[in-house]
Amino acid sequence: MKKASELNFGEKVKISEIDFSHPSSQRIIEIGFTPGQEIELITKSFFNDPLAFSIRGSLVAIRKNEADCIKVS
Amino acid sequence: MNIQVTEKIPLITLVGPPNSGKTTLFNFLSGKNYKTVNYPGATVEYSISRLLKKFNIKAEVIDSPGIVSLSPNSPDEKIAIESLFSHPLFGEPDILIVTVDSSQLSRHLLLVRQLQECGFKLVIALTMNDLLEKKKLGISLAKLKIILDCEIVQIDGRTGEGINKLLSVASLYLEELKSSDKKIIKKHLTNHTQQSLISLYKEIGSIENQVIHRIHANGNGFDIEAVNAQLNILNSSVERKINNTIDSTTLKIDKLLLHKTLGPLFFFIIMALTFTSIFWLADPLITLVDDFFSLLSSETIILLGNNWFSNFISIGIISGTGSVLIFLPQILILFLILGILEDSGYLARGAMLVDKPLSKIGLNGKSFVPMLSGFACAIPAMLAARTIPNRRERILTIFILPLMSCSARLPVYTLLIAFLLPTDKSWLGGIILASIYIFSITSSIIVAGILNKFKDKIVKEEDNSSFIIELPAYRKPKLNFIITHSYMNAKAYLQKAGPIILGFSIILWFLTYFPNTDPQVDTKGLTEEEVMEIQSVERLAGSYASDLGKLIQPIMSPIGMDWRVGVSLIAAFAAREVFVSSLALIFKITDDEETLQESMLRSMRKAEIGDTGQKLFTTATIAGLIVFFVFALQCLSTVAVSRKETGSWRIPVLQVIIFTFGAYILTLITVNGLRAFGIN
Repeated sequence: MKKASELNFGEKVKISEIDFSHPSSQRIIEIGFTPGQEIELITKSFFNDPLAFSIRGSLVAIRKNEADCIKVS
Repeated sequence: MNIQVTEKIPLITLVGPPNSGKTTLFNFLSGKNYKTVNYPGATVEYSISRLLKKFNIKAEVIDSPGIVSLSPNSPDEKIAIESLFSHPLFGEPDILIVTVDSSQLSRHLLLVRQLQECGFKLVIALTMNDLLEKKKLGISLAKLKIILDCEIVQIDGRTGEGINKLLSVASLYLEELKSSDKKIIKKHLTNHTQQSLISLYKEIGSIENQVIHRIHANGNGFDIEAVNAQLNILNSSVERKINNTIDSTTLKIDKLLLHKTLGPLFFFIIMALTFTSIFWLADPLITLVDDFFSLLSSETIILLGNNWFSNFISIGIISGTGSVLIFLPQILILFLILGILEDSGYLARGAMLVDKPLSKIGLNGKSFVPMLSGFACAIPAMLAARTIPNRRERILTIFILPLMSCSARLPVYTLLIAFLLPTDKSWLGGIILASIYIFSITSSIIVAGILNKFKDKIVKEEDNSSFIIELPAYRKPKLNFIITHSYMNAKAYLQKAGPIILGFSIILWFLTYFPNTDPQVDTKGLTEEEVMEIQSVERLAGSYASDLGKLIQPIMSPIGMDWRVGVSLIAAFAAREVFVSSLALIFKITDDEETLQESMLRSMRKAEIGDTGQKLFTTATIAGLIVFFVFALQCLSTVAVSRKETGSWRIPVLQVIIFTFGAYILTLITVNGLRAFGIN
């Protein structure tokens, strides 16, 4: 299954699952990343990390390793 | 005898996610009358205010730091949530006003739902309605009110529209509360696992689908709402998916400001502009303050005659106050620029851009804002470090904050640089100052890198390092609020630092004036001015300060300085800028022809070490002093705050030892190194 950290720019996908075992998963869900939501990679920072995603009409930046816990399809 | 029964003033707490317009609303409610309060025990800075008179409701309003949910992720959120349930000073809030950004309804309803679950009585202030409209979306208020079972009022953060309505609803609630039984608030959420959060979001998603609708180019929101109300049954059965997209202007700006290669370039330009404008804008104001106090100081001597009292007023009090106020313009301007950067939405982006490099040296992107505020003052900066969730990263950030070149060092640098420069090359001053800043930033990076190697020794526990931050939609900064806020910040700062600086100025004056108050001088053939000059030199030589200073002479000699600089350096431990007022006391001869700085520089150029004939202030010793001030942790208030924020004496003691001894050794190397190269 593809992870949000592997998305290309402009690719609109749906979140299928959040990996609860990741220590940041609680905050990632709280900030709006939940299964069924559409996300899009908007920008990457200088060293390709952190990544900024469009989620629920907002722009949220998270680290690459945190984006790993968002599974998309 | 009258027995006063004081009625408890109702308490309204403003709650909301970050960037939901909470502080803007608070500014409307409080005007300029708010004050920041420190909690006993934990010093989170909260703003509290009595509601403005014009609203005609007697109540206190508290603004609190933004929270995403009721499960804290960082120390600032923890304190915000705990005080929401029971404020240590004001108790339980009677009602909550929750700010909800209508353009991010689903994300912000999470907090609303959790608060309702706990049993809070709340009114929703719906903000950023213009942003929602820009997205061509509308909201059915009536329906949302029914679903959430609470009052909702739309407000406009720019004009203040809707706030009267919001407060009349709030006061209605307060009236109701008087007659009803006390509600019971559950202290903790029963269920906040990941799975239950996802279910909560599912419920919120269906609410959003019911109340958000598309506005057609030619239609207006109200008509649609009416139509929707009629089609209620249809709507609930058909899944309508409204696509909430990011504000298009924000996306366009971010294409540039967060561009992979241009982004860091813009970041560099914005930071460079920030710092240079601090100096450019503040410079004329500083001259003004300096001129005013030197005039006042010399006029006092003329008015009161040459005696101990006039000397006390002129030098102990007026020059002391002047040395406090002289750096006020720079603090004000730094707060102003920080306010503009924050309000426009750029600060969060800056944090994102530096997250990767900072995490390489054991810090976090969220260290960016504390580090930036550190250029004004390390104290608010250490408080700002509470937003960093990871304890080790937070402690490391706090550790290096004293290396940020705070504004208290500015008067010191200004004086030392002025000494180095010939008057016709004053433009060089800006460049030297900029180099000092770059030097101090580079040093802090190196120090953080070294500390990171010993991170396991500094903070033992290892917890999750995380960087999750919302990048808010770009907004035009609300200048009037930013100006008020900068003014309040500067005022609070003066109130804290002012008395310490003034107090030390008076103590130093006493130490330098007594006991030899009236030295016998051969006045034959000398002008009155010359007599005063010789008298003050004699007085100082026989003063308590000189006795004290001679004790530390052995430490000062290796770095090419004498006890007079030593006394000033020790005085600077109260606050760095005291160094300047202390040197002013020791070296200044009041002269109405010159400004404070000119007359100080003149006597500093004349100063010699003891009877050796060797000049005290040379290029080498001045450079040494600059290096000393870059590294030394000379601020007792910073040490105290570091103790509070890190929870023990370990970190502050380490900071004092490493930074101050390090400063001494580096000064030793600088002074003697320069001399070895023939630079005196």
